[in-house]
Amino acid sequence: MKRAAWLGVAVLLVAIAWHTDASPARLVRGLPWMWDFVRRMVPPNPAVLPAALAGAVGTIEIALLGTALAAALAIPLGFLSARNVAPPALYYVVRTALNFFRSIDTLVYALLFVAAVGLGPFPGMLAVVAYTTTSLAKLYSETIEGIEPGPVDAIRATGATPLQVLRFGVLPQVLPLFLSYVLYRFESNVRAATVLGFVGAGGIGLYLQTYLRMIDYPSASTVLLVTVVMVMVVDFVSARIRARLV
Amino acid sequence: MIEVRGLRVVLSPDTVALYGVDLAVEPGEFVVIIGRSGAGKTTFLRAINRLVEPTAGTVRVAGQLVTGADPSALRQIRRQIGMIFQQFNLVRRASVLENVLAGRLGYVPEWPSLAGRFPQRDRALARECLAQVGLAEFADRRADTLSGGEQQRVAIARALAQEPRVILGDEPTASLDPTLAGSIMGILARINQERRLTLVVSQHQLDTALEYGTRIVGFRAGRVVFDGPPAAVSPEVVQAIYGEEAA
Repeated sequence: MKRAAWLGVAVLLVAIAWHTDASPARLVRGLPWMWDFVRRMVPPNPAVLPAALAGAVGTIEIALLGTALAAALAIPLGFLSARNVAPPALYYVVRTALNFFRSIDTLVYALLFVAAVGLGPFPGMLAVVAYTTTSLAKLYSETIEGIEPGPVDAIRATGATPLQVLRFGVLPQVLPLFLSYVLYRFESNVRAATVLGFVGAGGIGLYLQTYLRMIDYPSASTVLLVTVVMVMVVDFVSARIRARLV
Repeated sequence: MIEVRGLRVVLSPDTVALYGVDLAVEPGEFVVIIGRSGAGKTTFLRAINRLVEPTAGTVRVAGQLVTGADPSALRQIRRQIGMIFQQFNLVRRASVLENVLAGRLGYVPEWPSLAGRFPQRDRALARECLAQVGLAEFADRRADTLSGGEQQRVAIARALAQEPRVILGDEPTASLDPTLAGSIMGILARINQERRLTLVVSQHQLDTALEYGTRIVGFRAGRVVFDGPPAAVSPEVVQAIYGEEAA
């Protein structure tokens, strides 16, 4: 039975490889071109460093403002989609809506917002808000569903109002975890925002795409290096802060 | 002070926790409830302030009807009923003082409290209650840095901060070693004597129950099977409450 299942998976993967035309030979034939690509990127062009840094700042701005707004917007949605605190009717409506919107990726939202409000960092930021709000709401609601009921009972027993119960019984239990998730989403959003420029939604991706189109590989490699360093620095700092929270 | 009539609690269609309990507690009594686990002790205590919703029957505390009270009236009654729990139920990440201040939530203005602002009078009262359980200098410590016995004393201070008419205790010493259990029961006995505060506390240790209670109530399988002074708890009574034979 178990062996049959593994065999089935193997057959499926081979079928997919055939269907998608995946072949090691093609990869090997492409290697010289890749090598040529890398060779033409060296040395990087230092002249575009100021532009690349400006792009990096733009990307971080998009991620920072977008994540911050989403972090706040997701709080009510998180409570409304948590089984143990939301009214049942609302719980199903909000949870279904969130599942629907979360299936759309940041880049797709960026395309929609560029069409709606025009080019620049603003549609990129809106795209980050749209996706991050739904994904944080999901993480928040799972955190809320996992709280200890004891302290909540104790606060209810004091004669507290429902809002006071949330503030004093629930919030202190979930807030550090919320912050940790927000930082984690910020890290992912910096990475996601690097490609937003490809669809005209601001940030460092715009520079990368422009130089690649101009076949200016040394400048593109400067942008790429700045991107790598930026993501690594953000990940490092954010991970340090998260380690202190939980 | 507490008047319970025909209290029936059905937790799920096939679990009846209490089959119509009648009990009247006079002001100043220290009632200790005993019985095997699953006898209905916890459900009884939680039904008094409606943390568990009674299925039938009435509960009155200090003359006010708890059963059927609307949410706002229920909160007015709850703030007069302090409660302590087996697991202490402090908010771990909050400071000791914040935990005690929670006892004032039923009295202070709602919106400022949500921003963490409490009137000076309530802060002073919270510190006073903390001093009464001997933990004045722990006010700014995080609650989860305290030992179990200390956490339960904070929980008692939180209950005292409610300036309650009644304190309910759901197995408050079951998570503590015997020495600490004795000291917690001692603090409760002192509160009972000094403030003439009415206490209803469940206790799984029979000897502790008999040592501290002024009145013993025995539960078995959702019914009261004994009600009397500690001196009246004979071996036959113990058998009736804890015995193995079919109830």
